[in-house]
Order: sequence, then C-alpha cells, then structure tokens
Amino acid sequence: MNVPPQEITGLQDKLARSLQSLQAAAGVTFGCSEKAAVYREDKLTLYRYRAIAPSANLPPVLIVYALVNRPYMMDLQPDRSLIRRLLELGLDVYLIDWGYPDGADRFVDLNDYINGYLHRCLSVVLREHNLPATTLLGVCQGGTFSLCYAALHPERVRNLITMVTPVDFQTPDNLLSRWVQSIDIEALVAAHGVVPGDVLNAAYVSLMPFRLLQQKYVNLLDGGDDQAQMDNFMRMEKWIFDSPDQAGAAFREFSNWFYKENRLLKGTLELGGRKVDLRQVTHPVLNIYGKQDHLVPPAASTAMQNLVGSSDYMALGLDVGHIGMYVSGRSQRELPQAIAYWLQRR
Amino acid sequence: MGPEATNMGDWAAAMQKAQADLLRQWTEMGSAWTRATGSPAMPGVQPAATPGVAEPAADDVARRFLSQCEQYLGVSRSLWDLVGRASSSSDAEQRARVFTDGLGGLQQQFANLWVATPFGAPGAGAGAMGTNPFAFGAGSVPGFGVPGMAMPGFGAPIPGMPALGPTRESQESMQRLAQLGARFAQAQMQVSGHWNDIIGKALRELGERLTPKLSSGTAPASMKEVYDLWVDSAETVYAQAARGTAFVQAQAELTNSMSQLRSAQRDLLEEWARQFDLPTRAELNSIHQQLRDLKAALQR
Repeated sequence: MNVPPQEITGLQDKLARSLQSLQAAAGVTFGCSEKAAVYREDKLTLYRYRAIAPSANLPPVLIVYALVNRPYMMDLQPDRSLIRRLLELGLDVYLIDWGYPDGADRFVDLNDYINGYLHRCLSVVLREHNLPATTLLGVCQGGTFSLCYAALHPERVRNLITMVTPVDFQTPDNLLSRWVQSIDIEALVAAHGVVPGDVLNAAYVSLMPFRLLQQKYVNLLDGGDDQAQMDNFMRMEKWIFDSPDQAGAAFREFSNWFYKENRLLKGTLELGGRKVDLRQVTHPVLNIYGKQDHLVPPAASTAMQNLVGSSDYMALGLDVGHIGMYVSGRSQRELPQAIAYWLQRR
Repeated sequence: MGPEATNMGDWAAAMQKAQADLLRQWTEMGSAWTRATGSPAMPGVQPAATPGVAEPAADDVARRFLSQCEQYLGVSRSLWDLVGRASSSSDAEQRARVFTDGLGGLQQQFANLWVATPFGAPGAGAGAMGTNPFAFGAGSVPGFGVPGMAMPGFGAPIPGMPALGPTRESQESMQRLAQLGARFAQAQMQVSGHWNDIIGKALRELGERLTPKLSSGTAPASMKEVYDLWVDSAETVYAQAARGTAFVQAQAELTNSMSQLRSAQRDLLEEWARQFDLPTRAELNSIHQQLRDLKAALQR
C-alpha cells in the first residue's frame, strides 16, 4: 500500500494557511444595501431599503422573515443578496426584523406576531404608499405567517410570494417533524421560558451531524488559499449560529399547532379567535421551494396548492437546498428575475 | 525492513508531527485568546456574549476547525492504517477479510468521539456529536448538575425513605430532583447506546463500500478520500436510524427528562430565593403577564 506522508505534511501547510485565512475573515461584515428604520415596536424594526434603480412601478414588497434566524441572510453581501437584486430591478423593498426576544417576551404568542406586529408593519407600508393592499414576501416560517395573514386579512394583501415555506408539517421526509412529535413541548417551554436559539441550532445540525459538525470544517483545509471563499464561509457560519431565542408562547404554539397537529393543513388553525381559512387566499400566489431542501421538503411547500383558494397559483421549484435558496449562484441568477417578472404580470 | 514498512514509518512520523503541530496551534490560539480577553480559551466554552449581537467569532470558528481537524486526523489515521494493513496482502479475499475484521476494532474508538453529551455541558459543542438537539442546559446551574445535591437550608434526602418532619416538603423536592436526575442519566445511557449502534453500522457500511475496492486492488488514493467515504457512510446510516422509532423515543426521553430536571432545579432555586426575599422567576412572570394585559387593553 502506498501511503502518502506528503498528504500529512501538506496538511500542515493547509492548516496554517486556513487558520491565517480564518483569522483574516474575522472582520467580515453583513449587509450591503442601504436601509432606514421606518417603524419600531418592542424588539421589532421595520426597514425600508433605499432605491438604487428607477422604479418598476410595482407595489412595494414587504419581506416577512422567520423568527428562527436573522434576516440579514436576504442581503448578505453584494453578490449574495436577494434584496439587492430586487432593488436593481426597481422594486421598493421593506423588511421586518423581529429582533432578539428576551425573557420579557416569553408570553408573546403567534397572534401577537401575525395579527399584531405583522399587521402594524403592513399598516405602515400601506399608509406610506397610500395603498389598500400590497405584496407580501414570506420566507420560511415567515412564509407560513404571511399565508396565515393573507387568509385572515385578504383585503390587505395584493400578491403573496412564499419562499421555502412549510404548509404540510408532517410529510414523511421531514425528519425534524418526526423528532418533534415525541418532544414534550410544554415541558421544554416551561423549563426555558424563552427557548434558546442554540436548541434550534442543535436540532438543525443534528439532521446531518457528520457533515455539519465535522466534515464542513475539515473541508476548510482546502480553502486556505481563497480568502473570498473563507470570507463567505465565515459569513454563513456567523449567520447559521446567530439564532435568536424564541418567545416561549409562540414557540409552543408553532410546535404544537403546526408540527404536532398540522392545523394549517387540516384547516383547524385559529388565531386571535378567528379561523385561518386558506380558501380565503384568493390572491395571486407564487410559491417558491427548493428541490433539495431537507428542512422544508418540497412536498411540505407544494401542499399549499390544494389548500389556497387562488386560481392564480404558481409553484416555482429551484434545484437548491434551504440555504442555497438565499445564497446560491443559481438562486441569485434566477429568483429575483422570476419574482419581478411574475409581479409585472399581475 | 522492507519498503512497505519504511513507508508506514514515514507516514506514522508525519502523522505524529501533524498531531503535535495541531497541539501547538491549539496552545498558541489559547495563549492568543488569553492575551486578547484575559480569559482562558477552552474548547466548547464561549466568551461572554453581548446580548443582541451576532457573536460567533473567528476564534470560535478556528477552535471548532482545529478540533475537527484533530478528529479528522484521528479518524483518518485509524481508517488509513486499516486500509494499509488490508492492502498489504496480495490475496483479494485476504485483503477484504483483514479490512472487515479490523473495522470491528474501531467501534469503541469512534463511538467515543460521538458520545451523548448534553448540549451546553462543558466539553460539548465544538467537537461533540451525538448531542441531543432539544436537551439544553442540564447541569448548567452551578451545584445543581449532580442529582440530589443538597442546598443550604434543605435537609438531604434519604433514598427510599418517606419525607418526615418540618422539612418534609423540602425533602420531597430533593427526592424528586434525585429521581429526575436518575431518569436523565438513564436516558443519556440509552441515547449513547443508539450512537454506539449507529457508529458500528456506519463502520460496516464503510466496509461494504471499501471492500470491493480493496478486493479489486483499487484502494483509495488519499486519506481524505477515505474520510469522505466514512462521512457518507455514517450519514447514510444515521439518516435511517434517526427516523427509527427507538432512536426518536430515546432522544425524546432525553429531552423530556432534561426539561423536567431543569424545571425542578429552578423550583428549588426559587424556593431558596424566596427564603431570602429575592425576586423569583415566578414573580417576574407575573409582572410580565400584567404588562402584557395592560398593553392589550391599551391597544383595544
């Protein structure tokens, strides 16, 4: 057997270079598009992005991000920014940043998020543009929120775009859901009050632990010579583990009602005393999902088609994973144009 | 000494140097961290975070990186050694047999790398795998990680005896804590058992993928290639096991027992705080609830 000591000695060089590149990547920054806060409430901030191209004369887009990660993933860096691409296409973009809940937010529930915070953010946007309704772009859990909101307040939504959005929470390929079914959510929330973001992070990396906890870092050995690649890695790494804690009440409701009881799919979900009837979603709907998504499997998203009342429903599957939907080259090339094209025709 | 042995000797020496260099990198990084922050750098121990600020720093990633490189070297060396031993035979069947037999000897070593460590416990995090994703924070309360540990002002429980006397309620609390601690420890053992099974099956899966190559004389060209094959094998086995009822139930039991234990720990702390007229979580919760009701009334 020909053993390769040169691979080991070479490894030392790689290790040294990779460490040097990692240290140089320490100062990576996020966000590349100029924005201004136009509304604040509790931990929440509503941002409006500054236009960088002539207006496409389309209704403004309000991006509703998930609670479980930070929204700067939508504007990570100049060549990885869905928001920047949308701005370049002349869209007026708003974004809800939910902030970092703390112990004071343990009783904030889903009704507060959807009928409260989201509702008031949309009011700000509609007032600013003197419009009765506009476009919601919901991402992941934020897509689920947007879908619920559109069903509850159909008159305030003109178009609905959902990205990597779960609707059926119990598809057979959903490993996370399989695990959640046996977890005593009441006890978990009672123990923590505000559920640490690290709990969610651990759950996500546990879906593929050998790759995400080990191989991913070993592969850095091959990236030492490419500082840009190391910077990208560092940005992603920071984003992945920058997970806000979860308001206990909202976490309990989302886990029980959506994951355990699949109420959205079954039509049994109620928020603020009102039934969330997806047949009320008669707006144009663009449902974007990742064909390789292991967090929100395609079937979990595409289940929407048979539930909404819209006759103008379009599903767009990209050959990317959950994270790739935000940052992959393919997504950067195809997604913004697809969104703008779809909006222009409505 | 034949050329094969010389090669193996070169390789072993290079490997030792690699591990020594890793250790040096660790040490240098730890020193640099201490100089920068005044606090020692420990794998898995985070510097104090500023609330509301994205915290994972390059140092943290670098530590994680080095830790994984260290594991990579260990795993890869073991696998490569085995591949080397198997390949030294000229007989195809013998090569396959040596390799398959050798895999069994790696089980314990590999299983030790993927132990069921409660998330958030010292040593967990960076390098530890097999952590329960939902079980967070047990043992993170100083002095409370050990089930049954008595607090000032409470009588220590006597196992198996009913609680008696004026401290009866306190004794019952401590007994409950001890029971929950035992339940949690049992759950940890169960999950560890599942991880042992997963590692064993993953090694067999690796064997099934590598043996045909060894039999045909087309051994992997690099250590990294063997390592990547190991990761693929392990993920394949894990994906199947993680969906299995037994694993799901064991993991849930670990989480649920952890939640119960943590709540019981807090109840004891609250009782202690009340004795000193200190604010408690329950008191704060009550205030938060009142504020929430007030806000809702204002918005109506």
